Amino acid sequence: MREVELYFGPQHLGMVGNFSITLKVEGDCILEATANPGFLHRGFEKLMEYRTWIQNFPMVCRINVVEPDHMEMVYAMGVEKLANIEVPERAQWIRSVYLELARVGSHLFGLWAYANMLGFDTVAQWSMYHRDLILDLFEELTGGRVYHIYIWPGGVRRDFPEGFTDRMVETLHSIGKCVPDYNDIFFNNPLFYERAHNVGKISQEEAKEWGAVGQVLRATGMPYDIRKVEPYAAYDKVDFDIPTRVEGDAYSRVLVIRDEMIESVHLIFKLLDNMPGGKVFNRSFNPFKWKVPEGEAYVRVESSRGELGLYMVSDGKDKPYRVHFRTPSYTHGLIILEKLLEGANIADVGNTMISLYVVAPEIDR
Amino acid sequence: MNKKIVAELELAFKDIEVNTPQDTRVEICAREEQILTVLGFLANKGYDHLALISCVDWIEEEEFELVYIITPYLQENKAYIEKGDVFLKTRIARENPEARTAIPIFANAEPYEREIHELFGVKFSGHPRLTHLLLERDYEIPPFRKDFDTRKYVKDVFDSIPVIPEEEE
Repeated sequence: MREVELYFGPQHLGMVGNFSITLKVEGDCILEATANPGFLHRGFEKLMEYRTWIQNFPMVCRINVVEPDHMEMVYAMGVEKLANIEVPERAQWIRSVYLELARVGSHLFGLWAYANMLGFDTVAQWSMYHRDLILDLFEELTGGRVYHIYIWPGGVRRDFPEGFTDRMVETLHSIGKCVPDYNDIFFNNPLFYERAHNVGKISQEEAKEWGAVGQVLRATGMPYDIRKVEPYAAYDKVDFDIPTRVEGDAYSRVLVIRDEMIESVHLIFKLLDNMPGGKVFNRSFNPFKWKVPEGEAYVRVESSRGELGLYMVSDGKDKPYRVHFRTPSYTHGLIILEKLLEGANIADVGNTMISLYVVAPEIDR
Repeated sequence: MNKKIVAELELAFKDIEVNTPQDTRVEICAREEQILTVLGFLANKGYDHLALISCVDWIEEEEFELVYIITPYLQENKAYIEKGDVFLKTRIARENPEARTAIPIFANAEPYEREIHELFGVKFSGHPRLTHLLLERDYEIPPFRKDFDTRKYVKDVFDSIPVIPEEEE
């Protein structure tokens, strides 16, 4: 049979985001896949060298559209580490609640992408609606729906408004009540099972060799989570589980995502029960004249896609000298995707890619 | 807490510099030709996750600094604190920069090295495909170098009609 070169994306129904894969196919079988990123490369890391430490906040949250909050957090942690800024106890707890809320919102968006691509339109509509309820909470708390810029070096911008926690608990309960419905229509649906099991299967050894993090690694049975490995914010003060599966295929990755959402909601309730009082912000510097001492830092958080790291160098001036983000989609989209697609069927390309939870803006930066 | 690995490193490699600026971090400065052996040594000791390869342009010293950040893939919190992060650093000349590829030891070094080649112009010998990753053409000065002026570039390109040479088939 004749070999054909096929372009999958950036305009393709099965493709979410500005990303493209060049496939070499023979019939239905993929012989070789080449990931082709760069459609959304804005050179943020270079632009950040031209802006002051505080001016960079609106830029970092735009690196990844679906989870700006973890980007804010990792950048604020990097600046705090370089400048030795203390964060008040209550601010750490608020940060944890805020990040878990962001994780649920981001997973619901991911669920929308997956369900939509497979043609489960009802599930997609539901998850988009539930994400919107979470965006309402963010709007009340920060004034913004998608980009919040709420976390700041030295704490968070403001305390929870009056009655906010009650409304948050109520919203989360109303979403939680729909979990059995989601199970019936999507997760336990035989059609979905047939479509996703044994697709994009990866073993634990391969995952470790190719630098996998997040759900991709956890779906192979390894509970690797930065919240446990290197606790930040208030994650070492409360007890929570890390859901894992052992199969390592697309179906188990989606189930890990579902279990993680449920665990995040429980974690929010636990955090709210033990929330300490006090101030939420240490006011200590003038952002216009602020210089960060010389040094370098590598900080990392568990974003909803895996290990999100930031390597930052300061030369003692009012702007960063070098910023480099280590994003989870980078290895997933550029190495693991290429390896998993070799020998796969054309119909599984979008399936594999979205189950790896690849977000293109994170790769391009 | 990192005493064990520091002692082992100093024993195995006589002429590298090992510092521990923090409890959970080890910093190793080595020459470029030692990088592969040190990486292999660390990978055998359980530091099996290459988190990042980064490059810093120290223009005043006319050097590039390659930074390899390696962490262990461990499941338990306790074991992590005993190991911690490792920063492996090496400096290479800014003129005709060249380094050896780390792919034989860490397969996920591939896109990081491709990116550094594209954005800083560092050539990695032995790398199977040093093609474009994020950009679509070559620039006179690789764009992430400190002497590439973003504002001047924007003015030159967008204040006039750009001339982009067509690729020859």
